[in-house]
Amino acid sequence: MQTIAAAPAVPVLLTPQANAQQTAAPTAAQPIAATKAGTVAEPVTRFFTAPQFAALRKLAEVLMPPIGGNPGALDAGAPEFLDFLIGVSPVERQQLYRTGLDLLNARATKQFNKSFAALDAKQADTIIRPLLVPVPWPYDPPKDPGSHFLIAAHDDIRTATRNSREWGAAAAASGRRGGGGQQYWNPVDPIYKG
Amino acid sequence: MATKEYDVLIVGSGHSGGMAANILTQKGISCLMLNAGPEADMARDRTTKTVWDLPYRGFGKPGRLPHVYQATEFTANQWVDEKEVPYTHDPAAPYNWVRVRLLGGKSLFWGRQSFRLSDFEFKAADIDGTGDNWPISHADLDPFYSRVEGILRVSGRKEGWPQFPDGNFLQADYANDSGSIKKISELGASRGILFSKIRAANGRNGLASSINLLLPDALASGKLQIVPNAIVREITVDKNTGLANGANFVDRHSRQEMHVKARAVVVAAGTLESTRLLLNSGIGNSSGVLGHYLQDQIYGVTVVASVPEARDGKNPEYMGGSALVPRFRNLKKGEKHNFIKGYGMLINSGGAASPGYFADYGEGLQKRLDSYAGSCVSASIYGERVPRFENHVRINKTVSDEWGIPVLHIDVRDSANELNMAKDAAATAEDLLKAAGWEILSKTDKFYPPGYSIHEVGTCRMGDNPKSSVLNKWSQSHDVRNLFVVDGGSFVTCGWQNPTLTILALAMRASEYMADQMQKRII
Repeated sequence: MQTIAAAPAVPVLLTPQANAQQTAAPTAAQPIAATKAGTVAEPVTRFFTAPQFAALRKLAEVLMPPIGGNPGALDAGAPEFLDFLIGVSPVERQQLYRTGLDLLNARATKQFNKSFAALDAKQADTIIRPLLVPVPWPYDPPKDPGSHFLIAAHDDIRTATRNSREWGAAAAASGRRGGGGQQYWNPVDPIYKG
Repeated sequence: MATKEYDVLIVGSGHSGGMAANILTQKGISCLMLNAGPEADMARDRTTKTVWDLPYRGFGKPGRLPHVYQATEFTANQWVDEKEVPYTHDPAAPYNWVRVRLLGGKSLFWGRQSFRLSDFEFKAADIDGTGDNWPISHADLDPFYSRVEGILRVSGRKEGWPQFPDGNFLQADYANDSGSIKKISELGASRGILFSKIRAANGRNGLASSINLLLPDALASGKLQIVPNAIVREITVDKNTGLANGANFVDRHSRQEMHVKARAVVVAAGTLESTRLLLNSGIGNSSGVLGHYLQDQIYGVTVVASVPEARDGKNPEYMGGSALVPRFRNLKKGEKHNFIKGYGMLINSGGAASPGYFADYGEGLQKRLDSYAGSCVSASIYGERVPRFENHVRINKTVSDEWGIPVLHIDVRDSANELNMAKDAAATAEDLLKAAGWEILSKTDKFYPPGYSIHEVGTCRMGDNPKSSVLNKWSQSHDVRNLFVVDGGSFVTCGWQNPTLTILALAMRASEYMADQMQKRII
């Protein structure tokens, strides 16, 4: 499309100046042998408390286990990702998660005298199952806060798992479609370029 | 310093601005188009990425676009930044204003469904017994609809139904209906609910936008210049004549304030931006209805069923395809419902079940999802909201955008009519799907906040009476005769139909009238 710019608004001299400041491309160097962080350090949470995060890991393990050659939520690092995502989310979302995970721990303690993370699959089911309700429409969540949390967390854990690099790799390895590339819109002529 | 006076200043570059430019330049009229955003380059500005390479794994940055439910992390940068150009509403009455400021506007991304309004909408007051008729009928717009359908290359199946007027369609090659679509069509017919097909703009190369169908010819005429990144602050008026004589705008990057002169002004910034501009300019509102009667359609009401004989991968030939059900409620006088107006339905066959439909998890859930895959039929509703004076926008003088321009406060609330219509729609869809012997998996009569459909219209309504309307039947301001508003602002009723085809037809009609008036020196 041919367009014209607002008359004095475009700094037309920028291009040659920028070109003048360009330096030669660096020459190839020997690759540096990098060490993967996970082999030398333990992940730490940045948002959830330790008991909350342990409950989230257990919930992820139970709700989305490895199935049919696909990685489970733990393989995909879904709990760690959600610790990041919820940590930068609006406060309502943060509160939903904190309250929900505390609820799981409270019910586990009351029924089994253990934390939710320490429950076996059958015990965890007795906590989870009553909170599960069908959701006809995602924008009309259940009124019960525990159910609301569980439905939201289930959805998030599934999405974080299915959108993981591990899921994509497993799909590619098995010859199935695995979230191939999509068109991503870069910022278009943003105001703030710094 | 440029002191040129253009014949016409066009604010906005989407379908309606593009149509105005296309028509006016063909008549030899010089036009300057100002667009608030930059020009997008599909090659430069898009990159192929996998979802796991995105910072938020596809969730998107939390809180970035709280009103744009359509946004994904892939598309987040195409929408207007809500912090850069905010708007306000009562927290208890949310409104989803979905905006694009790239050159071409929303025409770059629209769904391309292309339906005419019928006289059930143009003459709604006669049928509803309340509200207002448009000052025009389908017959007035018919020739313009036909020309627009030709430009957009609309395909559709002719039906001969007055509530779903036929048009100038490409010969569509519809595959035979699948068994599931046939069955539900027959059930619908036995209940007086008629099934047709989606009518869609084919455009060119998968794009039916102003940037590829309308602006190229205008540019080729040598009569159009386009300035991107030009945010119009106000339309200026000659104090002696009361006529519009140009606009003040600010350059998006340099923030340089500028003024451009024109003999006439076409506002085509999109319904709400156009109204915001008029309100901020203090013009066109002698009636007091500028900003009022904001409408769009209710979306979200959906019923989903599973066809038992198509589960576990069986009978795939029975599934697939879609159907479009045009409005069928309140077409006859004497119909008794607890709502006026009506709704259409989109039927899709062959889909998957959502995990949320089942109270299950882990392997149990996966087995159900695998079993139900491909066996689902959904019915989604497009419902018409009632135009109500109370549903309005006004300038919020306490909040400004990045360029210091006061923003809109939007106040839209649904009435019993919308709620009753949604309940009727969900019950009717459920009845149809159940009658087919299918298992209902999900039913909701809830719907998204107003604005979600991205079909916002009204707020500059047209009418014959200057005391109760902003524009006349030519989309011309009653107050400022060289000012035209050619986007969805002029709508009197929104119908259940996607508005783009009507916006384009109205813009074409208004532009031809305007050109004629200018050539006769009346404007």
